[in-house]
Amino acid sequence: MTISCSELTKVYEGGKAGWPALRGVSFDIKAGEFVAVTGPSGCGKSTLLNIIGLLDEPTGGKYALNGRDVFTLSDLERSDARRDEIGFVFQSFHLLNRLSSLENVCLPLMYAGADSAETRERAGSLLRKVGLHGKEKKIPLELSGGERQRVAIARALANSPKLILADEPTGNLDSAASKEIMGMLTRLNEEGITIIMVTHDRELAARAGSNMRMRDGRIEQ
Amino acid sequence: MKSLYNAARTGFTEIWAHKTRSVLSFLAIAAGSLVFIDAFSAIFATYERIEKQKEVSGMARMKISQNYSQTFSSPDEYVPPPVISYDDVLSLRREMPGLYMVSPEARDWRNVLQYGERRMTTSLMGVTPEWAKRDFVYKLRGRFLDWHDVENKLRVCVLVKKAAPPPGNSFSKSMLKKYNFTGGFDMLVAHNDMLGETVKIDGFTFTVIGVLEELPYSKRPGTITGYSQDYKVLAPVTTLTHYNFINSYQSLDLSIDTGNEQNYDESLRKINNFLKIRFGDGDFFIVENQLEVIRERIAASMKSALVTISLGMLAFLAGGIGIMNVTLATVFARTREIGVRRAIGASRRDIMLQFIVEAVMLGLIGGILGSALGYLWGVPIKVILGMGGSPIKVWMPFISVLIAAFTAFAFAIYPAWVAAGLKPADALRAE
Repeated sequence: MTISCSELTKVYEGGKAGWPALRGVSFDIKAGEFVAVTGPSGCGKSTLLNIIGLLDEPTGGKYALNGRDVFTLSDLERSDARRDEIGFVFQSFHLLNRLSSLENVCLPLMYAGADSAETRERAGSLLRKVGLHGKEKKIPLELSGGERQRVAIARALANSPKLILADEPTGNLDSAASKEIMGMLTRLNEEGITIIMVTHDRELAARAGSNMRMRDGRIEQ
Repeated sequence: MKSLYNAARTGFTEIWAHKTRSVLSFLAIAAGSLVFIDAFSAIFATYERIEKQKEVSGMARMKISQNYSQTFSSPDEYVPPPVISYDDVLSLRREMPGLYMVSPEARDWRNVLQYGERRMTTSLMGVTPEWAKRDFVYKLRGRFLDWHDVENKLRVCVLVKKAAPPPGNSFSKSMLKKYNFTGGFDMLVAHNDMLGETVKIDGFTFTVIGVLEELPYSKRPGTITGYSQDYKVLAPVTTLTHYNFINSYQSLDLSIDTGNEQNYDESLRKINNFLKIRFGDGDFFIVENQLEVIRERIAASMKSALVTISLGMLAFLAGGIGIMNVTLATVFARTREIGVRRAIGASRRDIMLQFIVEAVMLGLIGGILGSALGYLWGVPIKVILGMGGSPIKVWMPFISVLIAAFTAFAFAIYPAWVAAGLKPADALRAE
């Protein structure tokens, strides 16, 4: 999974000129890299991650995901790419609270059209992989923060993505849980998955393969 | 198919998780369903009644009676108008054997009927066996008048036994009691088996050969011609003329059924011609075209049926707007969830499907509930309230549930479209 961006801009609507979140960002990420994106609040880290993850569209510039120009993708192709090639891990987990952890992990498989026995088996094995064996039937509210984030990681892995985007994955966790989650991401990177992680935590950033510092919508190098 | 199943599962979870909201919205649809079933069964009742009435009354009817409103420029010009006699009836019958019914009718009022020591006023109607061909909404005990009775001017009669007023109609019941509208004659027939008895009418002895029992209201189709049936005693028309109940100045009314609507105009022309040849020019008789009257009545019934059905549709519309409101509220309450689902790979179509399926499920539940209530309302409750049960056919609840589901579907499209149109990044940021 390679990511190649040049002169990416993003202007949010509002006010006369709008509010520029990205003011020309260029970088390349090679397959298998572990990149930490750091920077102060409001510097455009999350915006960048949303654009990389096809959740948002840039206002200008170029973005090629695995060589494909994302501007040419239809909404359905973008949905399929999010489903099959990208896994998301969010700061506030974004699990569906009415579903059990197993069902949460099943969702991406369901949208991929897998049959239900297969789906449950795969979801079960992913939950075992993240160390949640026996907690398949618990709903998110019955789990600790660290456990919830592990469910989220299992969900991100459901369709074997090549890229994981983590937006402050440890922001809501205590240090022990943070360490665990970071370890898990490191292991996934070792398995060959490209990881881009937004974080405030310098210590965590230091454990990533490379760092990308942002300030005022630009990359400082 | 798989995504439909998944959407249905999610929908069920959501409906279950928001019981109050769900109950309210499917109550709205249920109300629509109920009104619709009631409207539908009312229409069906009207339709069935009309069909029965058509069968009983026939469509191709006309009525010939003397014209009482002829104008004369001076009293000197007045000549007694011609009358239709029984011989004229026989002559018409001979000339137009194709007519289904030619029923002469002669009425006499304020006759005194004596049975044993009891005396009461009654009214007589002279008829022939043809009378029974149309508007015969009775159960006959004994026999009806036959041609032998008519040809031999026999003093035989058939009595009419009134049915009880419609059940639960307390107003008409109390009125009947208070003013004794039923009168002595109705009481006599109601409480005595008059079949085979002899009675005296205005001093002449008659034998009761039959009793016509009016069917109870619910089973009585009524007559489409709408003529009041206030006669109490039927006797051969020839007998009444022979014994001077009816004098020679009194014209017979003719009730005619040409047999079918196609030959109606032709028959009407021929009958007018017959009257002109026999009685000469002049507006001596009124030929009432009942075909038009009947058609107008049917059209009026159908129009009121349409009004009723549009009420049902309005109720569905209200229910549909309720569903739309609930679905929109659901979309806004679950914006973040929509964002999450989009992030993990749900397409716009998946999101639309999810909300539409959920709404259709609400519609289905509401439709089923409403149909059940509609059935309860239409059959037992209406009977208890004395409104008479509505005929609910097996297919009505199915149609109603289908329409409920379709309404929900139609009204969910917009909210679902709104949901599907949300940008994933924006939806994820929602609180």
